[in-house]
Amino acid sequence: MKKNKVSMMITVLILIFQVALIPSAQAAAITGKIAFEGTAPASPPMAMDADPNCQMMHPDGVSADDVIVNPNGTLKNVFVYVKEGLGDQTFEAPKEPVAFNQQGCQYHPKVFGIQVGQPLEILNSDNTLHNVHAVPTKSTQFNLGMPIQGMKLKKTFTAPEVMVKIKCDVHPWMAAYAGVLKHPFFGVSGDEGTFEIKNLVPGQYVIEAWHEKYGTQTFSVTISSADETKDIAFTFKAS
Amino acid sequence: MGLNRFSRFLAFATYLLIIAGGLVTSTGSGLSVPDWPLSYGSFFPPMVGGIRFEHSHRLIAGSVGLLTLVLMVAILRAEKRVWLKKLGMLTFGAVILQAVLGGITVIYLLPTFVSVFHACLAQTFFCLIISIALFTSPLWTKAEPVQFPKSFWIHRILFVTTALIYLQLILGAVVRHTAGNGIVYHALMAFLVLTGIFLSTYSVMCLPAGNELQRPAIFLGLLAVAQLFLGVGSWMTRIMMGESARQGVSAVLFATAHQATGALILASCVYLTLLSLRLFIQPESGHVSIVSGGADRI
Repeated sequence: MKKNKVSMMITVLILIFQVALIPSAQAAAITGKIAFEGTAPASPPMAMDADPNCQMMHPDGVSADDVIVNPNGTLKNVFVYVKEGLGDQTFEAPKEPVAFNQQGCQYHPKVFGIQVGQPLEILNSDNTLHNVHAVPTKSTQFNLGMPIQGMKLKKTFTAPEVMVKIKCDVHPWMAAYAGVLKHPFFGVSGDEGTFEIKNLVPGQYVIEAWHEKYGTQTFSVTISSADETKDIAFTFKAS
Repeated sequence: MGLNRFSRFLAFATYLLIIAGGLVTSTGSGLSVPDWPLSYGSFFPPMVGGIRFEHSHRLIAGSVGLLTLVLMVAILRAEKRVWLKKLGMLTFGAVILQAVLGGITVIYLLPTFVSVFHACLAQTFFCLIISIALFTSPLWTKAEPVQFPKSFWIHRILFVTTALIYLQLILGAVVRHTAGNGIVYHALMAFLVLTGIFLSTYSVMCLPAGNELQRPAIFLGLLAVAQLFLGVGSWMTRIMMGESARQGVSAVLFATAHQATGALILASCVYLTLLSLRLFIQPESGHVSIVSGGADRI
């Protein structure tokens, strides 16, 4: 009887120890900035005259969005993720969906990360019809018609792939890219050109940065302690 | 005569359909309408963006399908030639198969084999209609074949050239539906096809002057020259200049014109081959005299 009590206490202590340990063990992070070197390419206006509805949504026109250099000289829409170093760890796909919106005949977000099996909630906010055509090579392609404003659909990707192109064949200028991964360790550079990959455990990682036009770059990084934040930098050069 | 006029009109409509289909591929609009046979669940969706090309293609295809049905019924009712009746039915079968292939390309998201098959069947169907137009024309029905000593060789040159053009058409469709794969074979084949066409034109020119083959043969030679330039233009705008240029107006126009001219070349060569078989026959004894007769056999 006494032996059982001791055994139970030890189990409870182990559980408490684990609960206390896990958050601090996954507190490490990789942060960084995507620098851009050289002259930013001219962003020609997108010709949206193929659909008057799209044109009306942008009376002042809208620039091409394949290369966006931020005012601080950084590059937007770069997908940064852990390419190697996670071993055989598995990560459950989140239940909450990634929101993907068609608004102003453009995709929002243009570049994003999603886990295998995580729902992608696709919304048409436009007063015109779109088709959402995802062209993965490792998951099943899908092509969905979204003719009604406010219409929502959900899809998932079944295999990791960096990157999966999503396009609208009605409006050929519309293109988005999804980084489909087995894990949640990714980020996308925004208006400040920065990114953050959180909740990593100590270890050696290969980090890859992907851009639609400028391709990929990799960086090896070692995180030695659970509370370390490693700052790295990628530099993409004007071609 | 009415049947001939109707089949000529259908040939024109089919050619428009080939151009419309070419525009769908060139603009990358093939999947802008994700459902089939309806378009976004309706008969007439808003004609915006890529839908303008894809839905126009479907409308023209529907019209050609109906016209082919009318042609088949007219042939079955008015014609006495059994083989022509069978050809009419085969042509209608081809247009039905073509519609089904079109649907499969949409539903299964442009599988390469089906897309290539769809492209090749389109041009085969065009040749069938051209053939029906020829078979129902006075040029065919009232022809009096003449014996000409080199007919055997001319028939074979034209036949081999037609086969080469058809093979080139398959290669072209593969290049087009696989973003440039097989372009080297398509380019090499172009030289063989050009040789065949110029040899065909030359051999037709060796036939007695004033025959009905000479004008289409000159037309075929001119088309081949134009096609060479259009092919180079397509290659430059769609493959050499990369993805950014692929959606440009010049790329779309070059590729579509190249495909449409290819259809005309194939149809012209089929026309020449059939007409040469009808108008010129090899003398049995091999002597050089030109003798008329034999029209009642066909």
